[in-house]
Amino acid sequence: MVVSDTGVRVEPGSFRDPGNRVFHRHGEVFRGLDERSARDWRALAASDFFRDLLATGRVCGTEELLPTPVDLPWATVLRHERIPFVSHPYEWSYGMLRDAALLHLEILAAALAAGFTLKDGSAYNLQWRGATPVFIDVGSFEPARDGEPWAGYRQFCQTLLYPLLLQAHLGLDFQPWLRARIDGIEPEQMRRLFAGTRRLRAGVLTHVHLHGAMQARNAGASTTDVRAQLRAAGYTRELALATVRGLTKLVRRLDHRPADSHWVDYQRTCAYSVPDRQAKEQFVDRAVAATGGGLALDLGANDGRYARIAARHADHVVAVEQDPAVVDALYQALRDEGEQRILPLVMDLADPSPGGGWRGVERAAFADRSGADTVLALALVHHLALGRNVPLAEVLDQLVGLGTAGGTLVVEFVHPEDPMARRLLDNKPDGLFPDYRRDTFESLLAARGRLVRRVELPSGTRTLYQVALGG
Amino acid sequence: MTHLAYLDAGSGSLIVQAVVGGVAGAAVAAKLYWRRLVARFRRQPTDQG
Repeated sequence: MVVSDTGVRVEPGSFRDPGNRVFHRHGEVFRGLDERSARDWRALAASDFFRDLLATGRVCGTEELLPTPVDLPWATVLRHERIPFVSHPYEWSYGMLRDAALLHLEILAAALAAGFTLKDGSAYNLQWRGATPVFIDVGSFEPARDGEPWAGYRQFCQTLLYPLLLQAHLGLDFQPWLRARIDGIEPEQMRRLFAGTRRLRAGVLTHVHLHGAMQARNAGASTTDVRAQLRAAGYTRELALATVRGLTKLVRRLDHRPADSHWVDYQRTCAYSVPDRQAKEQFVDRAVAATGGGLALDLGANDGRYARIAARHADHVVAVEQDPAVVDALYQALRDEGEQRILPLVMDLADPSPGGGWRGVERAAFADRSGADTVLALALVHHLALGRNVPLAEVLDQLVGLGTAGGTLVVEFVHPEDPMARRLLDNKPDGLFPDYRRDTFESLLAARGRLVRRVELPSGTRTLYQVALGG
Repeated sequence: MTHLAYLDAGSGSLIVQAVVGGVAGAAVAAKLYWRRLVARFRRQPTDQG
């Protein structure tokens, strides 16, 4: 990561459009524009539709920095609102990706109607304020040229539409596909998955098969020639708008109802006794209150009960859960409440998001984005230590590593004799985890922070710890 | 002036957008292919000569 002597840290994920670049300076987020992008920005800033998008929060807060700093190599510099926690599309649930796609199309339709367009159509153009999507790529707007289709259509298909089709039509979780391929899923791959009668499913014949066939047939034609041919054949902005309307209708129709998942009912089937639950809620509330604002991570968030308690005191909460169906249920609930501070994310803590894209830094790893003031790890450690065989010390290293110095770790230790721990142990050979003991856990914890508070739940098989990190 | 976006939009991806744009769009695509066909026949005698 390059930090220049002007205190500028260039965002490693922002290099694909050479006309503008996002950078960080003194804890704020900026975007530098070259001459041409600056002209586009001035036209955009003067337009009513963009003012409306800003006022309604659909586009991230943006203002021009005046006067333009002379120590920076840009014609114009914009200051952006800070997104509370940067997430990647492969960490979103189905409903999140669908709502992100709909917002992208809504913004494109508004732009086209006002004589503008978007240069691209990537899922990475979107981020979240809690459970509300926000379009962040202000550099993507430019004045539209008559007679040209949307340059971002292919990218939209590959990073938004195709993942939605995979999940809605085939019931395949899209996250691993997006995580493995930064540019999304190619039409050719989709054609193989949607053979036979599957090609009759909504949107498949045109956006997958025809799209793939056209790509193959026109592989030798330059986009300059094809643009000229389309213009000569009478392609109009109205047609571009009709395509966006068609895509919006299709995405709205794509409905995915997840199969019953073990974890969807976890909170109910693994019900704590009422005294246990009350004691746990009080403990968490007090621990987060003591830390105050900032960012709280709820790891293994399930139905978000403790993420909501954390949100009473933290400025922002990221609720991480490995089951996409559980995250989707939580997202739908939070979205319906208009929640803007709790962000639900899909991630397996035994396989957290690695760095991706160019040099492995274009999309930052989860560990490099966390830096939480409060880390909640409730009913989690036994799943990692007994279910996934991760050594107890390493489980704690990860939890501590996701917090900042001066922050708080709230962690629950499920004793080996607890019914849930027993259930996991019954699937493993006897004596496989001799170190999975409360005294070992406590000494490991003491080596990594200062124990502030400890409470054993009334059932006597679970203990909660509040630990101050970094001394 | 020809202006290209930073992103390669993909030639096939541009044409397919005409096709999915309803009847009017399909007509544009048909016209494009018709013109390509006519251009090919027109070019042939010149190429041979």
